[in-house]
Amino acid sequence: MSEAKNEFYNVYEVFSKKTDKSPFQHQFSLLAPNADMALIMAKENFFRREQVADIWVVKRENIRGLSQSEREMLKRLDKDYRETKGYGYLKKKWREYNQEQFTEQHILGGKGDAQ
Amino acid sequence: MTTPSEKGALIELLYQLADDDFILAYRGSEWLGLAPHIEEDVAFSSINQDMMGHANLYYRLLEQLGEGKADEIAHLRAPSKFRNAVLLEEVNGPGTYLEKPDYDWAFAVVRNYFYSVHKQIRLDSLRHSDFEPLAEAARKIMTEQYYHLMHWELWFKQLVTSTDEAKSRMNAAIEKVWRDFGGVLTLGPAYAEMVKANFIDDENVLKQRWMKRIEAVFNETGLPFSGEPRMERGNGRKGEHTPDLTQALATLSEVYATNPQTGW
Amino acid sequence: MAAMLDYDRLTEDEKLEHFMERINRGEKIEADDWMPDDYRISLIRLISMHGISEIMGALPEKEWVPKAPSLHRKLAIMAKVQDEMGHGQLLLRVAEDLMAPLGKNREDIMQDLFSGKLKFHNVFHMSAPTWGDAGMIAWLVDGAAIISQSMMLDSSYGPYARALKRICAEEVFHAQHGESIILAMAEGTPEQRDMLQDSLNRWWTSLIMFFGPKSAKETGNSNADKNIMYKIRAKTNEELRQEFFTKYIPRIWSLGLTIPDETIRFDEQTQMWIYKDVDWNEFKQIVTGNGPESHNRLDLRRRSYDNNAWVRDALAAKRAI
Repeated sequence: MSEAKNEFYNVYEVFSKKTDKSPFQHQFSLLAPNADMALIMAKENFFRREQVADIWVVKRENIRGLSQSEREMLKRLDKDYRETKGYGYLKKKWREYNQEQFTEQHILGGKGDAQ
Repeated sequence: MTTPSEKGALIELLYQLADDDFILAYRGSEWLGLAPHIEEDVAFSSINQDMMGHANLYYRLLEQLGEGKADEIAHLRAPSKFRNAVLLEEVNGPGTYLEKPDYDWAFAVVRNYFYSVHKQIRLDSLRHSDFEPLAEAARKIMTEQYYHLMHWELWFKQLVTSTDEAKSRMNAAIEKVWRDFGGVLTLGPAYAEMVKANFIDDENVLKQRWMKRIEAVFNETGLPFSGEPRMERGNGRKGEHTPDLTQALATLSEVYATNPQTGW
Repeated sequence: MAAMLDYDRLTEDEKLEHFMERINRGEKIEADDWMPDDYRISLIRLISMHGISEIMGALPEKEWVPKAPSLHRKLAIMAKVQDEMGHGQLLLRVAEDLMAPLGKNREDIMQDLFSGKLKFHNVFHMSAPTWGDAGMIAWLVDGAAIISQSMMLDSSYGPYARALKRICAEEVFHAQHGESIILAMAEGTPEQRDMLQDSLNRWWTSLIMFFGPKSAKETGNSNADKNIMYKIRAKTNEELRQEFFTKYIPRIWSLGLTIPDETIRFDEQTQMWIYKDVDWNEFKQIVTGNGPESHNRLDLRRRSYDNNAWVRDALAAKRAI
């Protein structure tokens, strides 16, 4: 009992998919001694009502996240050369050739199934 | 419906199924707020809700068979009319759920685990029942039951292979549960009729399946297996019960019984 | 702004300035972000109190779980009390992550509860002797809780805001569960109506107290003001209490129930509810562990915690390394 203080289980992060088609999403965290226990706890602690198609539990210390400095730097990235917004002038250009600019749908072969 | 004696056997069976889940769910609900840690408190409560829900399904089948309204069946019968196994009505430990509850988690795990294994086997049989509404109910219940069994099996295995204290508490609980688990495994006096009408498989077949599964888990975890469980304190299927049931029913019906006619 | 590129090289003052800028821009602070000590302390105080209140809050309703007067009510109240425990779990996890850098964990939260250092909401120190109380707790106590929780949905602390989002979604079910019990009794026999009125009489003072004293003047501390500055919360205690009145008093009256305060009325001029204030010394007595059920409830919690120490030890031995 006495040394239980520092041993009070591990923190597990819980991820889930709502449906077969959806991506995994972080839900919350819980305390459990091991992954098996974390999994059965996760199901009832976070999916009592919601539909769920799959669940992952990951021991938090096995996750390498970003430090605050690293996160701050994410905000400064501006790469318009790899995004469509960097090519806004094209529409006007094509007009000069009496052409319409392709939309995403055209480019993707007419099946622009946006998900 | 079939012959009157078949109908009688069916009703007996449904009372056993309903009362087993109802009473054990009640014992489980007394643990609310008192489980070993918060995550388990939440998980355990789901299981108890599910079980209470299963009891509700069976009570509704009884209602359809003319036994009265489900709420009356659950709340107003005398203890001698209950058909649950004696082991399932036993208190969780000294004290009450409101005062000085010295509840025993080892007993909770062993009782629930052994019961879950049996319930799984029983449902497996019931889903082929010749009484179609029962077969249908069994198929519905099985999906939830899968997780109950997974839950209790994990607890059982982790505790019996952990600290010395955990081992000795679990062994004591196994011994205690063994003395009365025979009462869960029996189908009572109407058993031959239930089997003949194909409502459920032979109780001996179900019992052997249970023993085989438990023996395998005992072997895996290094526990000694000591043969058939006994039925020392009476046969609940015959209406034999302990004062623990009387107390439980008084609590469960305290408000409802003040005025069963009004809406609550 | 260029200095931000290497966050670790900022001075404490620059960090604080940057922190306040982020908060004022509406950005969310995360658990391992730099934060001023008093922000962390305020959050720990607020969230551990909130979390432990959810857990202690399961106890007054627990009595009514098996006693609920139908199979349907039994299931619904079981689910409701389970949710409270679940909310406790979410909130304690948020508090634990904030406490981790101070070398503290859930064990410390429990010990602080047992020693009386960590307080829980006044309402959960009170007794709930009838089924009417089960209805009143779900309808009005939870109704009050929804008001005070939803004003923090946009809290500057991200993990708290996310926990509250999950919690508030479930509170909608609780409120309806409460309304359903209350309406059934209000439309029932004279005995049921009396039971309901008794419960309202019993809970009214506690409901006024629930939101806390009006201002720092009464409490002698200014946690609420600081929490507003840090955008942890958005409204004062009195603003919340007034919202509660506006939302619920017309409903209470519509059921033909009497509020046990003959002075209560809406003042058109000030657009405020005028009501009889409560004895805030009594409030202090209650939350410091001298309420009618404080001792029993703490005993239940402590007893189960001690009885199950062997289970936690056994699981700790199965801990994945």
